[in-house]
Amino acid sequence: MTQQDLADRVGVTRQTILSIERGKYNPSIGLALRLAGIFGVAVETLFELAGEENHG
Amino acid sequence: MADHANGRRLPPLAGLIAGGLVILGLFLSMFVGMGFLILAGLGAFGPGILRELGWLRDQDEFQREAAYRAGYLAYLMGGLAAVFAISALRWQDANLEGPAGWIMLVLVILWTTWLFSSLLRYWGAKKTASRVLIVFGSFWTVFVIAAIIGEPPSTPLEAMLATLMGLVVVVPFFVLAWTVGRWPRRTGAVLLVVAAFLFMLTFPTWLARSLEPSGMLLTSALLLVPLIASGLALLREGSSDGEQDEEVG
Repeated sequence: MTQQDLADRVGVTRQTILSIERGKYNPSIGLALRLAGIFGVAVETLFELAGEENHG
Repeated sequence: MADHANGRRLPPLAGLIAGGLVILGLFLSMFVGMGFLILAGLGAFGPGILRELGWLRDQDEFQREAAYRAGYLAYLMGGLAAVFAISALRWQDANLEGPAGWIMLVLVILWTTWLFSSLLRYWGAKKTASRVLIVFGSFWTVFVIAAIIGEPPSTPLEAMLATLMGLVVVVPFFVLAWTVGRWPRRTGAVLLVVAAFLFMLTFPTWLARSLEPSGMLLTSALLLVPLIASGLALLREGSSDGEQDEEVG
């Protein structure tokens, strides 16, 4: 699946998918759930807190 | 974004039209007349206004977030530039005439739009309206007290009448601040009526004093916009949010 395919399926632009992948944008809960649903995994499998955020 | 969700990808038509309008507007304003600048303005600001009204849905959440952030930075920079411009134009004067008056008007529009947009988003219509009314009531209280102190009544009857007149002006604002939580829609409608009444009350005075249009608009923005914004927000929100008993004071 290409970034564009994924973007089309969740209803965003390819640039948004790219920014999420690069950690430049934190998606809304709704978008995170849609992404997780497409990959058939839990949201926390797809997204995790990085570094010190984990202990906050 | 509904079209994206359905798997169809549309070209950014709104962006193309907006860009075309900006270029056409700038071109015509340079070679035909500055009046055509309105086209550039429509291209630059029109799509954003349509998006905020919910009539144009061509952006996803990341694009909207980027636009909001850019908008806040534009507000800060635009506001700062406006303050510098007014200071430079009227450095040695205590009044606002000519271009400085118009720049001040833009500054007030920027600031009131930002303030009420933030407050309505953060507090919601009821709490915002309630606090706006308390601020208005407090402002008028100070104004009435200052007026009485400025021209002290000579007899006890005059003093009583002055106090009564002051209460007639001040008390409705505090009463409305209370009714916001109970009857938001009705209070919203009353606020719009009060704004219309204040406009009719002050407009002839402005005309009589031959104030500059910028001065009239500036006073309108400060005096009427808070009431109109709160009134419209209350009418829109109504009692549908089920927070009728929420603390609003």
